[in-house]
Amino acid sequence: MSSDMKAEEQTVHNPIQIDPETCVKCNLCDWICPGDLIYKKEDNRETLPVIAYPDECWYCGLCQSICPVDAITVIFPDQMINCQTDVKTLLGKVID
Amino acid sequence: MPQKWNSLDTDVLVIGGGVAGCMAAIPALEAGLSVVVCEKGKVLDHCGSVGCGVDHYLTIMESGPEWDTPEFLIKHLPKLTDGIVDMAVASRVIHEMPKVVRKIESFGVNFKDPRFNDYYRLRSFGLPGTYHINFDGTEFKKHIGQRVRKLKGSVLTRTMAVQILVEDGRVYGAIVFNFRTGEWTVVRAKAVVLAAGEVNRISLNASGMAFDSWHCPYNTGDSQAMAYNAGALLTNMEFVETTITPKGFSAQGLNALVSEGAHFINKSGERFMFKYDEKGENARRAVIADAVINEYLLDNGPIYADCRHLPEDILDHMEATLQIDRYTMPAFYEQKALNFREEPIEVSISELSIRRSGVYFRGSGLAVDTDGQTSISGLFAAGDCASVSGGIAGAAVLGHVAGEGVASFVPKTNGSLPQIDMETADAIREKAMKHMEVEKERGLSWKAYEAEIRQTVNDYIGVRRNEAGLRHALQTLHALAKRETDLKADDLHGLMRIHESSSIRLNAELMATAALARDESRTGSSHYRMDHPDTDETNWKKFVIVQKGSEGAETTTLSASEPLAAAFARKN
Repeated sequence: MSSDMKAEEQTVHNPIQIDPETCVKCNLCDWICPGDLIYKKEDNRETLPVIAYPDECWYCGLCQSICPVDAITVIFPDQMINCQTDVKTLLGKVID
Repeated sequence: MPQKWNSLDTDVLVIGGGVAGCMAAIPALEAGLSVVVCEKGKVLDHCGSVGCGVDHYLTIMESGPEWDTPEFLIKHLPKLTDGIVDMAVASRVIHEMPKVVRKIESFGVNFKDPRFNDYYRLRSFGLPGTYHINFDGTEFKKHIGQRVRKLKGSVLTRTMAVQILVEDGRVYGAIVFNFRTGEWTVVRAKAVVLAAGEVNRISLNASGMAFDSWHCPYNTGDSQAMAYNAGALLTNMEFVETTITPKGFSAQGLNALVSEGAHFINKSGERFMFKYDEKGENARRAVIADAVINEYLLDNGPIYADCRHLPEDILDHMEATLQIDRYTMPAFYEQKALNFREEPIEVSISELSIRRSGVYFRGSGLAVDTDGQTSISGLFAAGDCASVSGGIAGAAVLGHVAGEGVASFVPKTNGSLPQIDMETADAIREKAMKHMEVEKERGLSWKAYEAEIRQTVNDYIGVRRNEAGLRHALQTLHALAKRETDLKADDLHGLMRIHESSSIRLNAELMATAALARDESRTGSSHYRMDHPDTDETNWKKFVIVQKGSEGAETTTLSASEPLAAAFARKN
């Protein structure tokens, strides 16, 4: 078991940015999210949706596409936009 | 936590509400059967791999030319699959394609391109004709989901199936829980259709983000894992699949790129695909992926997708339809400040998945017969968890075949279902709920657990394999299995993820086991054994079949000239 198995939870990027001024607190983003990430109290027009599990986002954009007032913007993190990974590291290690 | 059980009796339980699951539910409902769909998402109209849209659909349409007939495509199946294909099931799927595409049109899906008021059909992925309809499928899944609701199918949303119930070789239901409410339900059913998709989140990708995946990251091989544990036969599990994606964003879109005429170039500007296949960029996905992998290994990276040579009207169409396969793709390019009309797009291979290894009609997953029935009586499978897979069309058609299979199977059952053994049900729930009670000191997070699986798959079971690496990987995966009880759930959502992690680990183990058995190489990087680099046509025109044995996963082989059903022991 590697030692980093318990280390985690650095700052988590929030991909689903909701404009609190524009949001009409309608519940559709919670309803449509395929990953169960967005939690919004039902029948409550006072509370904003909460992005409960931001690091589990697929970046599918369904929440943004269904928002009736365009309050949602999907923002990509730096490791996606400016990805510096050497692709060769994805191609396996060879051991004898 | 509520301790009571909900119980539901139905003719048919469908696990997974994507295209395959919905298309299986429809004929069963049309036949007058009761159907319950169990789905981790909230809404049938937008769940599964194409819940946010799809831009291509592979089909025979019988429009006149010889290539557009089932017989012509079937003739090419051995070449398309490097000889490893269940001809009986794949032929049935291909024969059913024209009927199913017309049926989907009747639900309201418009496959026609408004520019021509006709089907815009393109060639890609090594297919011997222009079989892909390129279309605006933004609402494709919505029409299919609506059809299920119109026919009065019931849906259990935000619900995960934990275990299927099998007695005397016959399935009779499943145990499921709702991860929003914590309710547990025992579903008794005369037939069960497994349609929960392929295995994702199983290896690393360029962004290093587990849920940044080409296909739906919430598809984690749950069908394969549950069926394996119940004794079903799986096949082609050794083959891995990867695609080519813009570096940093594992998204759909390769079909549109290659079918519209994009080129791949290496760092020297060389268009290299013809070195690997006479079809160039129109080669099979597995060949494209293999070529890109090779170019990177030859230090010819970075590799780019290049659209700059394309005519304006094609570029306009590509730009206008960029968001159909992945809604956020335009935002990605915008935030990256990349104009694909004027600059080449740096690409990477995506993470790996266990699906169909970049080859149409050779699915990795549950072996099924020509009715979509697995080796367990009453248990059907369709879509990317089954042994014939062909994209969205494959899911739709095999789903429909399985639905018809169910409709014919259920009336033959004598109506009686075994009583649920509530002690067994309690034990299953108790085992699951223990993850909520793991002490903090001992507790292991599913994220860290999965990260270890992904690193292991990436390093030793991925695109370059040998016996030593595979054995090393199996050791690590077996050790992880022993630590599964330490996985700590902070909430019900986490409990759902833990079950996904468990499925991912098991599928990785099955992949390594099958890859060890196939001591040859086949289909490029889909199964490349560095210690057995040649394709062995004399001894390996065979399926590797994986099944649970007394000591863990066991493999057998079956000649690929036989249907997989020849290995089934079920009575009916």
